[in-house]
Amino acid sequence: MSTSATDVEQTVIGFLTTIEKLPEAFGPSTSLYAGGAGLDSLETAELSAILEDTHGADPYSAGEMPQTLAEIQAYYAANSA
Amino acid sequence: MTRLEDYDPASHYDRVTEAWLLLLGDELHYGVFATGDEPLPVATAALTRTMIDAARLQVTPAGERPLRLLDIGCGSGAPACDLVEEFGIEVVGITTSPVGVATARDRAARRGLPGATFEQRDGTDNGFEDASFDVAWAMESAHLMRDRHALLSEAARVVRPGGRVVLCDLLRWREIPFAEVRARREDFATLRTAFGDAHFESLAYYADSLAELGLEVEVADDLTQATLATFDRWRDNAARHRDAVVDLIGASGLAAFERSCDILEAFWRDGTFGYGVVAARRPA
Repeated sequence: MSTSATDVEQTVIGFLTTIEKLPEAFGPSTSLYAGGAGLDSLETAELSAILEDTHGADPYSAGEMPQTLAEIQAYYAANSA
Repeated sequence: MTRLEDYDPASHYDRVTEAWLLLLGDELHYGVFATGDEPLPVATAALTRTMIDAARLQVTPAGERPLRLLDIGCGSGAPACDLVEEFGIEVVGITTSPVGVATARDRAARRGLPGATFEQRDGTDNGFEDASFDVAWAMESAHLMRDRHALLSEAARVVRPGGRVVLCDLLRWREIPFAEVRARREDFATLRTAFGDAHFESLAYYADSLAELGLEVEVADDLTQATLATFDRWRDNAARHRDAVVDLIGASGLAAFERSCDILEAFWRDGTFGYGVVAARRPA
């Protein structure tokens, strides 16, 4: 799968749906953690692994801690150039 | 990928309570081993005794008002009933689990102990009046409560001047970096499957928090080595009660429990997790 914003969004939403933590009004600026999707450290680790498996790299393993889908998408945009 | 459930300690507890009684023993908590060779019931009784000593419980003298103890996360009510029977005190056990309340009430009724009562309440928002207990007691329940500060704050709030908050629980001895959580995520997911959504704090966290709430910390003891043999006994129970446990939680549930014993034992040995007891007194 590519690292396009659409494909990354599909991966993140698919993961949140699977773990039943997709907020009703989820969007690019919704927090992935407290006050938003509510991911804890283990769930964040699983998201990190899924992003790497699906898109070949992930921002968490690169030392970043994106707070939103938009920041995950920005990581791929910056690293696909 | 392991499917993760939403945090719901009550439903988790209900689902596995019966199986846990077989796997963990009647007291549903770790044991403190003096030699490592004791049977699990002896060791779990020793942990209860450690809490009793920390709480400085004494038999109620004739004609005096019995002490009132709040058992936060009372499990199946066994320790609460034992305390009422041994010390002649009043114990109010609370748990978010309706199955836990029903099991505990049945136990108290069978043993003829009206001084042991049980209610479905949340330890992080218990709803009791200020200073209405002599002891607030949390035996291995804190790690299943997401808001530990609220637990401690509420426990401190309901304790009278001169009374004590006592707590024993699993501990985290070091910060676990995100990269390690990621690398060991299958182990952590297995622990969550078996034991629910547990979160561990350090011994210092509990002691410092109680001090910040205005209590005088009297006990903050590391029981990691003393509890290590618990995992051997749990594995023995899993082998002994295999068929019954599979009927209750399925083969995958039993496998997750057995794997969890190995994972936790390794964490105990490498200094990641452990066990401890804390007691603090509200100044008179």
